[in-house]
Amino acid sequence: MQKRHKKAPVRYKKPMTWQEKIKRTMKQLKSESVLYLMLLPTLIFFVVFRLWPIIGMRLAFYKYSARKEWVFVGLEYFEMIFKTSAFTDILKNTLIISFMKFVMLFPFFVLFAILLNELKSNGFRKYVQMVSYLPHFLSWVVIAGIWIAALNPSTGAVNQIMNFFNLPSVDFMTDKTKIRWVLMISEAWRSIGWDSIFYFTAILNIPKSLYEAAEIDGAGRLGTIRYIILPALVTPMVTMFILNLGFFLNAGFDQVFNFSNNAVLSSVDILDTYIYRVGIQSAQYSLSTAVSLLKGVVGIFLVFITHLVSKKITGKGVW
Amino acid sequence: MGPDNRSKKIPRWQMKNRMRRNSVFTPTQIGLMVLLGAITLTMIVPLLNILAKSLSSPEASKTMSGLAIFPREFSLINYKIVFNHPALMKSLWNSIYVTVIGTAINILLTTTAAYVLTRPKLLFKKIIMIFLIFMMLFEPGLVPEYLVIQKLGLMGSRWSVILIAAVNVYYLIIMMRYFEEVPESIFEAAALDGAGHIRTLFSIVFPLSKPGIATITMFYAVVRWNEYFRASIYLVRAKDTLFQVILRQFVILGDTASIVGQQNLFDYNELARIDYAALKGATIIVAIIPVLLLYPIVLRYYAKDVMGGGVKE
Repeated sequence: MQKRHKKAPVRYKKPMTWQEKIKRTMKQLKSESVLYLMLLPTLIFFVVFRLWPIIGMRLAFYKYSARKEWVFVGLEYFEMIFKTSAFTDILKNTLIISFMKFVMLFPFFVLFAILLNELKSNGFRKYVQMVSYLPHFLSWVVIAGIWIAALNPSTGAVNQIMNFFNLPSVDFMTDKTKIRWVLMISEAWRSIGWDSIFYFTAILNIPKSLYEAAEIDGAGRLGTIRYIILPALVTPMVTMFILNLGFFLNAGFDQVFNFSNNAVLSSVDILDTYIYRVGIQSAQYSLSTAVSLLKGVVGIFLVFITHLVSKKITGKGVW
Repeated sequence: MGPDNRSKKIPRWQMKNRMRRNSVFTPTQIGLMVLLGAITLTMIVPLLNILAKSLSSPEASKTMSGLAIFPREFSLINYKIVFNHPALMKSLWNSIYVTVIGTAINILLTTTAAYVLTRPKLLFKKIIMIFLIFMMLFEPGLVPEYLVIQKLGLMGSRWSVILIAAVNVYYLIIMMRYFEEVPESIFEAAALDGAGHIRTLFSIVFPLSKPGIATITMFYAVVRWNEYFRASIYLVRAKDTLFQVILRQFVILGDTASIVGQQNLFDYNELARIDYAALKGATIIVAIIPVLLLYPIVLRYYAKDVMGGGVKE
């Protein structure tokens, strides 16, 4: 985008007054009216379906009423949130699940890209890519369906394999202590291929001369990974890591929503499932909106912090 | 692997090629293939298992192993039930409708917006981009969004689900990246020929950005097809619902009564005696098929650069 901006030749010796500026802008808008009309539907969409609900988030400070005016109640609902004993657990669940998915998992995505690169057989690599990218495109409903079937205590493959090794069957889906691991591993199952593309591309972009230099220096495969490939992955790793931090409070709602059930709710209840349950199922509109607002503000704060940190470390912002 | 001194006579660069060609079956390479192959099996086997069970007779599928990948006593009964089920069929049509119309709107808005936002002389470009990125980062709450849909009178209409996801900023930015690659001289030539913006977009930029448009279409279509959450909130009547919503009810929430029918369960007739797990499998397979049909587009256009055999050289 930036490249094509050529500096306009200086036409005015005196700086324009604002009237002149407006006049010029209007003239330009008029001459290119089709161009702006083309953008209009998109802008209308964002104003109606995004901006309007965002303005509607003021509901967090009001008592909702379908027919009458909303009544301003100040921070009542925020106080209510922090008084709810469950809220600490929900926040804890959100952070733990995010940590497992975004921090613990992420070395494996890097490792997958490195291993993929080490494969010498082009045909086999293509096969691995073709298969491992697919789960990313399945809905979480479908993935949960597949996993529920595979983890079934009697008919599922996982327990049958465990039984084969004389291990007792485990009902992973209803076990509070195991469900978070199920979330983490199913996230890996869905994303290991697709999320490794980012790192794999970075490996492909390493100049060939670096490999040759390493070979001349007598570095083996492991040496090449250690001294050539890993350093090239530092920037993408930092970028990805920081990007994930920005979405830490989301913890992947669609997955959690489809993998949770009443037996394990207390270990997988996250902010977004709470927002849904309180807001849509119990129709406590203001309370739900207050949680949304809190989450949104902290989320955007995290994104800005990570943007600044990223700019400092990698010289590149998130956007 | 590593520097190999098998023959000193061959120049180093040739030796490297030779090693590459010959080293596919070294122990390390075989170990790698086994490891990565095992990972892909965890993705393929569960899918094939579900497919195999759904294609087996109810008596056979109940006793089949979770690792079986071939149907036993081949039978289409599960698919007959799915495709003869009025509610499932209705939801399937709704899903197709939302996917086709929704994706068309996505593409129309995303390409026109991306075209405008990549014009170099655009005024207020920075402000518009900041606005869009803010809209991407700050999610409105579920409830305020629900109330807006209510106020617009879209509750219960398929347009609620279509319009709420009309543009995805992330895909818009990807589209802009593709459009930026069209050389500026082409726009200038088009303008000289008297082509307006709309004509330039559809008859010049479109054909030149075919890979980008194919990729974005596929991304949008998959998101549309996989939609279940907003549909479950906004499409209140059973006849308007989407396939993924029913799939969730049946497969995840275990609501067999609504699929098999209360009366059938009560009578415990042939329909009630089928293998629910296999029937769930059949509905899952039906939900996957459209994704499989779209998947080659990703491989061909989006993942082309990382999948090309030549990139390693």
